[in-house]
Amino acid sequence: MHPPSTSLDASDRFSVLLIDDEPKIRAAIRDALASDDVEMFEADTGAAGLTRAETRRPDLVLLDLGLPDMEGIDVARALRRWSSAPIIVLTARHSDDETVRLLDAGADDYITKPFSLSELRARVRAQLRRARMPRVPGGDAPVRVGELEIDLARRLVSRGGTAVHLTPTEWSLLETLLRHADRPLTHRHLFRAVWGNSYGDAPHYLRVYVAHLRRKLEDDPYAPRLIITEPGVGYRLTLGDSRGLADAGDV
Amino acid sequence: MPATSEASSRARRRAWVASLLALALAALAMLLVRSALDKVHVALVFLLVVLVGSAAGGRVLGFTLAIGAFVLFDGLFLPPYGTIVVSNPLDWLVLAAFLITSIVAAQLLSVAQERAEEARRYAGEVERLAALGAEALNAARADDALLAIAQVIRQALALECCEIYMHRSASAAGGGGLGDAAPGRLERVAYACPGESSNGAAASTAGGGDTLAAWVEAHGLPAVERTDGTTHVAAAGRENETSVLGGAWPLGADVRTLLLPLRVRSRGVGVLRLTNAPAITMRDDQRQFLDALAYYAALGVERLRLTGEAEHADVLREADRLKDALLAAVSHDLRTPLTTIKALAHTIVEGGASIGDARAASIEEESDRLGRVVGDLLELSRLTGGALHLQPEVNAAEDLIGAVRRRVEGVRQGRNVRVAHGSQEPLLLGTFDFAHSLRALGNLVENALRYAPPNDSVELTVQREHAMLVFRVADRGPGISDAERERIFEPFYRPPGAPPDIGGAGLGLTIARGLAMAQGGDVRFVPRSGGGSVFELRLPAVDEPPTPDAPDAPAP
Repeated sequence: MHPPSTSLDASDRFSVLLIDDEPKIRAAIRDALASDDVEMFEADTGAAGLTRAETRRPDLVLLDLGLPDMEGIDVARALRRWSSAPIIVLTARHSDDETVRLLDAGADDYITKPFSLSELRARVRAQLRRARMPRVPGGDAPVRVGELEIDLARRLVSRGGTAVHLTPTEWSLLETLLRHADRPLTHRHLFRAVWGNSYGDAPHYLRVYVAHLRRKLEDDPYAPRLIITEPGVGYRLTLGDSRGLADAGDV
Repeated sequence: MPATSEASSRARRRAWVASLLALALAALAMLLVRSALDKVHVALVFLLVVLVGSAAGGRVLGFTLAIGAFVLFDGLFLPPYGTIVVSNPLDWLVLAAFLITSIVAAQLLSVAQERAEEARRYAGEVERLAALGAEALNAARADDALLAIAQVIRQALALECCEIYMHRSASAAGGGGLGDAAPGRLERVAYACPGESSNGAAASTAGGGDTLAAWVEAHGLPAVERTDGTTHVAAAGRENETSVLGGAWPLGADVRTLLLPLRVRSRGVGVLRLTNAPAITMRDDQRQFLDALAYYAALGVERLRLTGEAEHADVLREADRLKDALLAAVSHDLRTPLTTIKALAHTIVEGGASIGDARAASIEEESDRLGRVVGDLLELSRLTGGALHLQPEVNAAEDLIGAVRRRVEGVRQGRNVRVAHGSQEPLLLGTFDFAHSLRALGNLVENALRYAPPNDSVELTVQREHAMLVFRVADRGPGISDAERERIFEPFYRPPGAPPDIGGAGLGLTIARGLAMAQGGDVRFVPRSGGGSVFELRLPAVDEPPTPDAPDAPAP
């Protein structure tokens, strides 16, 4: 389930565009991210960022909220019109609402200030890897996380070799989360994906469905490791901590 | 009204004189040509006079004319002349027929006229009501509409004074602070009293007799003041009472002031006060008119109240928006330099400069701490400033516990969070804002981790207790003395003897309790048996809803 090693080939450099109006933060992030296989571009306004994005075609965009000239959501929307490069939002706002709006507008992840550089590096690595991966993790092959094996093609889930029975709603939830693995999905996104537009009472109880799903999949539902809650935002399915955090160190 | 009644009585007098004169002239004229006339001609001419007279002067004049014509007919035109007796007995029949025809015709005519008069009056009232309704709806300002209603009521019922009072709740008056317990007051919002138009502000609180008005408002029943100064309150009317006067109808002859409750959808909104000297008189049709008008007045008062509330809400919304903008700006301005400091310190640590190493690490730690303090201060200002936006949803208790454990992962410092739970117990659900409850429970757990003995663990459990979910965070720390039990929830409180670098600004418990209370819960302290503390976070529980499965799931 690791991506093919060719996608991280050193000859194939990643370009990262950083849009932030604070020169000192730009410097710190540049120091932390720039390496043999990551090339950094910077912009200090939303407009400059959009121009640079068009000329440089970055593999990933780091977008600060609170730019002097544009709302972050407008920058994200403008980028999404033509680019599918992952967008990670740097947020210092006091409310999760803006983060949720950004994610719904097409941003892929967020990190809240003050953040640690190792955490930022881990998120950037995860997004770059995701972007190079097949649409569905593992493609046709089953996904393995710890004791869990999920076969989307054959609609089978087993835990420690024992089949796990999922209701149609639970399947739909798991499938949506897995197709966007390592990405925070907003409640709204999940509502739409699972229930479409026919909102009855059910979407109101999204969290209850997730709790039931966790009880079937997690070793300890009181300490979930597969389906992680993003407080005030939604849920994220992680394909094992080993992937997200440890890999970041070995760049 | 007085002017019109005077005019009509003058017209009636003229009708009497003219009719009697016409009768006399007709009799004289026919007397001159008596020999050429037949009885039928005389009867017809007299009948004509009677009809015209009763049409102009009403029933009494009609009867008078009929009897006068009868006497003249008998005395002057039926032989022997000049006497009551008639020679031909059949003439009695003619006379009787004439009298009965005249009287019946006069009666019919006057009844028809009364009907017409009544119809005219009703038409006038309907027109007035329609005009008033249009005016009340069109009036740009709610108080103009109320003034129009007061004037129409005064005119229509020929009153001296009509006043409309609005019930204003003390809290909605804008001052606040007094709390919900303070009773509302009645405020005069419109009045039509020509006597006092020159002095006194348009809006004043009810003057004398306002205890009675307050009673009317509170009980939703009418009351009257009599000319002798006594008051009378009406008993509750019949169940299906539709008239606003209810048990106060019919009015006594000595009612000087009438107080009526104004209600919209059976909720009291104000009081209508009618005054007249020496007494209020009201016909039955006027009472119906008053019912309709009182409802207009109630709607007008309600409109005034809603307008006031809308303005108040606008002001509040604007204040909220400013608070949000300010907090967002402060948050950004404080956190951005912290991020820079932290990031720079981190790069120094990673760079491995020999001397910088340890110091840079402590810069990073301190900036983390400062970051928490800034977060706490912002949270507290949001709590106290009313800028907290709660989004209560149905959440699972285990979800909150899982998120708390992730949150405190970085500050465990070797201590553990142990969660005791059964293996197959049903889902515990509550209705709460997840992010804010996470912060509350996170603060409790962080606190416990901070004060727990090194290498010891903090116990975290959750239980359903009646209508609440109770999360318990237990530690074997030093505990809290009786004297400090409530003080620990005060902002910036630190336990005596606590090391100065422990924790944040001493806001954790204040914020936890504030966040819990804002969603109908609480945070409590309980001493732990065997030493240590237990902090309880209580949040509203909810039963598991039926969760039907998505019906259109694709087949495997």
